[in-house]
Amino acid sequence: MAEIRAEEQTLAISKTFLIKPKLKPKARTLPQTPESKYWSSFKSTQIPNLVSSISSLSFSPSPPHPFAAAYYASVSLFSPLSLSDGNVSPSSTISSFSDVVSSISFRSDGLLLAASDLSGLVQVFDVKTRTPLRRLRSHTRPVRFVKYPVLDKLHLLSGGDDAVVKFWDVAGESVVLDLTGHKDYVRCGDCSPVSSDLFVTGSYDHTVKVWDVRVEDSRSVLEVNHGKPVEDVIYLPSGGLIATAGGNSVKIWDLIGGGRMVHSMESHNKTVTSICVGRIRKENCGDESMEDRILSVGLDGYMKVFDYGNMRVTHSMRFPAPLMSVDFSPDCRTRVIGTSNGIIFAGRRKGKENVESGGGWNVLGFESISEPERRGLRPTHFRYFHRGQSEKPVEGDYLVMRNKKVKLAEHDKLLKKFRHKDALVSVLNKKSRENVVAVMEELVTRKKLLKCVSNLDADELGLLLMFLSKNATMPRYSSLLMGLTGKVIEMRAEDIRSSDPLKGHIRNLKRSIEEELRIQHSLQEIQGIISPLLRIAGRR
Amino acid sequence: MMMRGGRSLVSSPPAFSNDAKKLLVCTSNTVSVFSTATGLQITSLEGHTALVTSVVVVPPSSPAAKVLCYCWTASLDGTIRYWDFSVPELMKTIDIRVPIFNMVIPSFLDIPAVDKGKHQDLFAYVFTEDTKETQEKTKALRRQIRKCNLSKSRLVGRLILGETKKPEVLTVSPSGKFFGIRNKCKLHIWKVPDQGSEHAAVRKITLHHTKKITVIAFHPTQRVIAAGDVTGRILTWRGFGNIAFAENQKLINIQEDKPGVRDNDDADSCSTWHWHSAEVNVLSFSSDGAYLYSGGKEGVLVVWQLDTGKKKFLPRIGSPLLYFIDSPDPTLSAISCADNQIHLLKMPSMGILKTISGIKTPCCYPEMCKGLGNGIAFDQTAGLVALRTENYCIQFYSLFDDRGISEVHVCERNHQPGDDVTVIVTAVALSVDGSLMSTSEVKLAEEGIGGLVCLKFWQAGSQNKEFSLSTIVYDPHRDAGISAVTFHPSGNMVVSSSFGGDFKIWRCNNDIIQNDQMHQNFSWTCHAVGSYKKRPMTAAAFSADGSVLAVAAETLITLWNPYKNVLLAVLGETLTPIVNLSFLGKSDNLAAASCGSNPQLSVWSMSKLSLSWSYKLCIEAVASAVDSSSFAALALLPESSNETTFKGRDGVILLYNATNPVPTAIWSVKKAKGGALGFLQVNPSSVEEVDGKTPEVLLAYMSGDHEYVVFDPYCKDAHEVSISQKEGLSSLELKGQGGQYGYASIYGELPEFDKKSPETPWVPSFPSERPWETIFSGSSHNLPPLTKLCSAFLESLLEKRTAAVE
Repeated sequence: MAEIRAEEQTLAISKTFLIKPKLKPKARTLPQTPESKYWSSFKSTQIPNLVSSISSLSFSPSPPHPFAAAYYASVSLFSPLSLSDGNVSPSSTISSFSDVVSSISFRSDGLLLAASDLSGLVQVFDVKTRTPLRRLRSHTRPVRFVKYPVLDKLHLLSGGDDAVVKFWDVAGESVVLDLTGHKDYVRCGDCSPVSSDLFVTGSYDHTVKVWDVRVEDSRSVLEVNHGKPVEDVIYLPSGGLIATAGGNSVKIWDLIGGGRMVHSMESHNKTVTSICVGRIRKENCGDESMEDRILSVGLDGYMKVFDYGNMRVTHSMRFPAPLMSVDFSPDCRTRVIGTSNGIIFAGRRKGKENVESGGGWNVLGFESISEPERRGLRPTHFRYFHRGQSEKPVEGDYLVMRNKKVKLAEHDKLLKKFRHKDALVSVLNKKSRENVVAVMEELVTRKKLLKCVSNLDADELGLLLMFLSKNATMPRYSSLLMGLTGKVIEMRAEDIRSSDPLKGHIRNLKRSIEEELRIQHSLQEIQGIISPLLRIAGRR
Repeated sequence: MMMRGGRSLVSSPPAFSNDAKKLLVCTSNTVSVFSTATGLQITSLEGHTALVTSVVVVPPSSPAAKVLCYCWTASLDGTIRYWDFSVPELMKTIDIRVPIFNMVIPSFLDIPAVDKGKHQDLFAYVFTEDTKETQEKTKALRRQIRKCNLSKSRLVGRLILGETKKPEVLTVSPSGKFFGIRNKCKLHIWKVPDQGSEHAAVRKITLHHTKKITVIAFHPTQRVIAAGDVTGRILTWRGFGNIAFAENQKLINIQEDKPGVRDNDDADSCSTWHWHSAEVNVLSFSSDGAYLYSGGKEGVLVVWQLDTGKKKFLPRIGSPLLYFIDSPDPTLSAISCADNQIHLLKMPSMGILKTISGIKTPCCYPEMCKGLGNGIAFDQTAGLVALRTENYCIQFYSLFDDRGISEVHVCERNHQPGDDVTVIVTAVALSVDGSLMSTSEVKLAEEGIGGLVCLKFWQAGSQNKEFSLSTIVYDPHRDAGISAVTFHPSGNMVVSSSFGGDFKIWRCNNDIIQNDQMHQNFSWTCHAVGSYKKRPMTAAAFSADGSVLAVAAETLITLWNPYKNVLLAVLGETLTPIVNLSFLGKSDNLAAASCGSNPQLSVWSMSKLSLSWSYKLCIEAVASAVDSSSFAALALLPESSNETTFKGRDGVILLYNATNPVPTAIWSVKKAKGGALGFLQVNPSSVEEVDGKTPEVLLAYMSGDHEYVVFDPYCKDAHEVSISQKEGLSSLELKGQGGQYGYASIYGELPEFDKKSPETPWVPSFPSERPWETIFSGSSHNLPPLTKLCSAFLESLLEKRTAAVE
């Protein structure tokens, strides 16, 4: 685009300078990182009154990704779309449970929901009709977790306080495999995202075992020791790493490398209760990519975001209650956190409705589809002649540039005309103290401030005194305003004495200065206490 | 090799060539020819040996002759020269042996054609100084107007048109019929005689006014003359000389009513306009005679419509106007400003097309603000100098190209000439690579309130020397003024020292912001604060490797580790406060200059922490080369020795080797007060080779008037070059005194400087009247054994009975 100036280029010797307030110092700490900006962009909504602790949360893998929450003896389904509207009532509730629901899991197509309860029963519901289709009873003690494999629609995995992990054939309501090996309550488990045969379970015996249904004698393939009772275990999207939560720590293990611990994250200060995988969209030099994070919640009320690529905590958020469960929607727009007192903190992010990460968790890369380029209007099209002022220039257009007009405030105009007192009065009426101080500084530079003060009439003097009584003790301005206050009182003493409203302003001024003196005095006392200590410290 | 520059472009009015494509500007001894299209210098006419005072372009006799480029120049050296400035070539020299202050050539303006076979003489009227008859004449009237026959190369004998006390400006009317001068409250106008003998009587009239007249202008067609006076009034006489210059000497009715005309002067009427608040310096009629341009000290060009008196303005030029020149091209004209700028104006709209930027003149500040330094910083790598200007700018001036590169507006204010100075740019510092700049400014308080000190950090943009502000610090040292700002050699650290008794080290954090393009953003934060016994910190310097920071605490030198802010050592002490500190290249020596009643130049050895040698010299500036141990000091000569030995030169540049107190070279210079010195690294492309080798470094000296010279301090030829140019009595002169055959002869001329011969004291302090104060100070490894100290200490406590012993 070529640019042409409206007038032939002439140089300006002098510019118009506006009266600007002094710059404020910038904070030395960096502003929000892009990452924490992302995580705080989830607009939080509270879903209250769910009776008791939210034991489990789960998102449906099929859009629009409704989520289910298990609390006491019922499971509620929520629609994330309603969250945006502020509607927090569940879209449907399943309450055909005889005991507290411990865990829920959607099938990979989102049509069926498996739920386990503390009576030892695992039930499979149709999500739409909410009727229990299958009742799987084999556990003798409370069932703690149930999980649908990611790539398998026919089987189900469950584990419970009887220390047995069961692999079910759902259709026939029969147990395919009993996996014994844990020595304590089995609390959690997850199925591999890359294989239908592999899964992990974690138990209170501190161990996490990796199972393979193809192994004949039902023995675990691999075992890692977390060191604390394991509360939660998940497969990371690659399928080669798992993350375990137990005690205050979240540990990451490399299964392909034979169960080697990759990293231990110990930034929670109470037991970590639940972890899940979150995703963040990174924009690096123009192209977008998704990166995975581990979201962990604990009884300390913190949610932490852990970047396991760089091994550091990138964001942390505090909630006002112990947290029990967390999940993150596959479309990256909703994250839900359940607390121990029956509140769900659901966060939803604004974004395009059609943002889809394709096949759920399996697709690692994100392909950005290039939008068709908009072509500029050609003179052959009739709309070319209907363009308005806001029309953007197209490549190849000749731009005729006009110098930007400088907008002058009222005090600027008055100062340009050398009406100094009027400028001061007009800016005093405007209630912006930065500008008032800036105009005063300009008047000092022109050596006209005191002349202005001496020319003010009673009302205008009242304005000035009011401004001084409010702002004279502000540290940012006090170096100028304190001196000015003294001069004003000295110069206009007789006018002040003769007018009652002005006396009132002076009383206010006196009060604020006394207050400031008190503060200074106590600050000096503190300094007196500290300075010997500093001196001693300096000697060492 | 030697380069001069920084001359005044506005010493006398410039002149346009006939095609208006060139502008001839008098620049001291030469006339520089600038292109009006680009504003760059094309060529220069060299030959005069003193200040060129007038340049007159020969007007074309026919339209076809417009391309001819001939001009006459007159100079104080007493010659008038005739040039073809397109080549450029000297055609003719007329030596009249008296200094010429001004010259006008009215005759060729009305010569119809020279080619008619009849050769006519060309006459010029010159303003000269009568040098011969000094004895007989009263001293008052020595400046004369004389007539000069240019064709016959001589003055017209015995014809003296007028005499004045001071040299005045001759003004010629565009028609070539009249010329005039102002003389206090009077105005003298002469009618140019028609062709004829050289002794033809010249008729003269005088017009009177009550105020001192400053400038006059003739109307191009009518008998109208305008004059400006010191109070800002513009007077216009119409129909002047109707009686005296009447063709047929008829008596016209004298009793006619003549409104506004004083003292029965020979004019029809006189009218007055008053807009200017101060004296009028510029008056010029437009070529069609419909408008009058006026300008003065307030820096506003006013256009008066002559018939109605309506005004149009070109405001805020920011500097007093000196000359307004119309060009043959009606759309182009030029104004010269007092700040050494010539603006080319596009005429009807009065927009500024181009600016021919000379070096800005030094600012003059009120007395109370003295001792702020000269505000000059050298960019060693690019060969630039950064200097503060009166309009709150930093001007970057290329020393090699001799032209202004850019200006950085430091304070967001416009300068109005004549206003009280309330904001002063006090210091400017450049980083070694020239990409960062730091400035400090002071806003003066109004009766004790509202004073402000600002420290600003700037970064160079992608384009050369377009600086943008990165950080402002308000009141960096509370309300105390900043005495010095210095960059660390690495460029990411700055020290600012204050008279308030502390210094601060500022560090640069650069975060790279990813916008459309990579954009580096520097932000500066205070890294450390240091003070020494609450003494005012008067100067600061970093060592070449950046590991040591020297800060002068009045008379002591404190050495610090700038990274950890640890006091390393204290050197002391001098007699008067130190104003200038400089590490001497890579050598482990430090030069300190103190001024006042007992000025001193001292060189301290860092390895021994003691004084190496010192001189009693009043030092104006010190510069050290980056990678050698030599340094140059600009010393002011004492008043007494000024007259005889140095012929008006008031300073010397002394080149020293750090270890040797005997200077390796000495040059004497003019106008050293307020001058500056800087070493420049040589860019091989910009410097022509001398004897097949390029010099390693160049030394730049800038005088108090901002004229400068760049030369190779190590080259022996430089001395001879300067001697051969000694005849050129330019205002700035360098003389390689004694440079031919050793400096011993000149060194003998300066015995009074050696009062304090080189000495090496055994403790890093001067023995003073009260030794117990200094005897124990210094590092412990430097202290002599206790036995020695003890006796000295006890001795100092005892009263000395000198008389009783006898």
